[in-house]
Amino acid sequence: MLFPTLAFGVFFLFVYFTAWSLDRENGRRKLFLLLASWFFYAQWDWRFVGLLIASAILNWGVAVLIDRSDAQGRRKWLVGLGVACNLLILGFFKYYGFFVEQAGDLLTRFGWERDLPLLQIVLPVGISFFTFQGISYVVDVHRGKTPVAKSLLDVMLLMSFFPHLVAGPIVRASDLLPQFDRAPRLTREMATHGLLLICWGLFKKTVIASELSTRLVDPVFFDPSSYGALDLLAAVYGYAVQIYCDFSAYSDMAIGIAALLGYSFPRNFDQPYRASSMQDFWRRWHISLSSWLRDYLYVPLGGGKKGLIRSCLNVFITMLLGGLWHGAAWTFVAWGALHGGVQVVERLGRSVIGEGKGPPAWLGVLVTFHIVCLGWILFRAETFPMAMEVLNGLGRFEAATLVTPFLLTLIVGGLAMHWLPPRAIEGISTWLKPAPSLTMGLLVGAAILLVEAVRPDGVAPFIYFQF
Amino acid sequence: MNDRPDDPEIPLEPFPMAIPASPFPPLEGEVAEPYLEDPAADPPSDWIEAADAHDLPTAPEPELVSNPLVALGRFAFPPGSPPDEEGVAARDRRWTSRIIVVATVFLLIFNAVSIQNWSRQQAPGWVTTTVRRLADVWAEQIAQLGADQPRQALRDGYEASRDAEWAGS
Repeated sequence: MLFPTLAFGVFFLFVYFTAWSLDRENGRRKLFLLLASWFFYAQWDWRFVGLLIASAILNWGVAVLIDRSDAQGRRKWLVGLGVACNLLILGFFKYYGFFVEQAGDLLTRFGWERDLPLLQIVLPVGISFFTFQGISYVVDVHRGKTPVAKSLLDVMLLMSFFPHLVAGPIVRASDLLPQFDRAPRLTREMATHGLLLICWGLFKKTVIASELSTRLVDPVFFDPSSYGALDLLAAVYGYAVQIYCDFSAYSDMAIGIAALLGYSFPRNFDQPYRASSMQDFWRRWHISLSSWLRDYLYVPLGGGKKGLIRSCLNVFITMLLGGLWHGAAWTFVAWGALHGGVQVVERLGRSVIGEGKGPPAWLGVLVTFHIVCLGWILFRAETFPMAMEVLNGLGRFEAATLVTPFLLTLIVGGLAMHWLPPRAIEGISTWLKPAPSLTMGLLVGAAILLVEAVRPDGVAPFIYFQF
Repeated sequence: MNDRPDDPEIPLEPFPMAIPASPFPPLEGEVAEPYLEDPAADPPSDWIEAADAHDLPTAPEPELVSNPLVALGRFAFPPGSPPDEEGVAARDRRWTSRIIVVATVFLLIFNAVSIQNWSRQQAPGWVTTTVRRLADVWAEQIAQLGADQPRQALRDGYEASRDAEWAGS
């Protein structure tokens, strides 16, 4: 059940009115939201609802044991166990096939060919998100940053809450558990902001991302050798806009849907293509993941406290594993290595030239954007040879065959939206807040009608669902 | 004028002087009706012989009841007490719910084709077939009113701009 579908619309209407009819009974409301979330998840594969429940019970149990334990050694052992179990679940479902295949290739190379047990494992949608959420909960309880949840129901809802379940943002326990303590309040600010985010997200996903995907990016990346430099360049820029509009649209809609149910999620994107450095880019792109990697990987590795070389190594390892988190393929590892490598160069450069003495901001933005686009080629191409084909084709000057004024407008518009005022949606929602409900209802209806009228039939799954 | 003066059932007085006893048993805890008690009995006296008149409690100060007309001043009615936090939350919730209802009705009218398209994409089944038939009828009726025209106009404009080519190509 995808957000921009009629089925989800009907589901959401039912959840919205039922949840608010239970607002005086917070326990029942949470139970209802949990059941609704399981129903939502079961639309992909009902068998994995059991995995979701098992994962929640595991994290709840480990957190309770950590909380009850006074011995520091035992607490460390328990948090290690909790993290290992989460990684085991993620590793089995997401990386088992990849690692077995690599091991088989390696053994063959050394002349020890073996038939390794390859399994056809279905990847549960959203597993990377809810396991990372489980890890952050257990570690935060161990660090004392989050009190242990008051009930198993809270942990289950934290991990299963349908707005963020399948593609984030990764909402931490410290963000959401306090909101579960009492029946939420819905303010006009939240409602207006939520409705605007939903409409804006619908437009970005179903119009910009879908059109760019079907008319430009997919055909070019399917057979890069058939296109010249202009088409390839447009496809690379188009993919940069597509992935932003696709993923940020999901985050916007998730935040908006949660807001209409009375819960507040953290921001996940902040105009990433106006970043003037790679470090800046990761403060703006998928913020919930980058901050997760910082707090639960980079910092435990030592962060920046152990000298320049060690901090460079830590950031490189963090980005490398961040790349692997996105998918079990060497192209994703290379993508992570590119981002890590550029950040290392930036750090070394800053240490030599000095803080704030780099190139002018506009040049930084231009260079960073093109390095990010280079990374997107690795991210989008299914194999290295295909990525190399795209890169080689950028030197083959031929007339563009796919780029139309419409597609160019979408690309330029998708990039230009990064230069809108940083809090434009918040500003508009403050302006619309005093409007009567009839006016607002007509505006929302007209905005959705506009999107519905122009969107292509059907809707492709969100790119980040595969992660 | 009473045309049957000898009829004992008709009282001579214009109203009955005594209320007959109720044929029903008294309700539990029911107090006697005061007008049925003996009106001649005096209430017990509260006269205290030894008391000095100055020691006796004086009548309580009359409560200052402001004249509502004076209190209103230039307002037509007194302003209501400001809503508490719960009241504000409930009001905002109703406001949001009304928006959702209005938007839903708006889309049901002007975007009926989407429901039709969606229902046609679903696997056949009792529910989906029912929804499809209802959607077909609804879209047809709405189209007769011309409510499908705004969507169609948007679609036509969008397709024209989407299919536009570079000048000279």
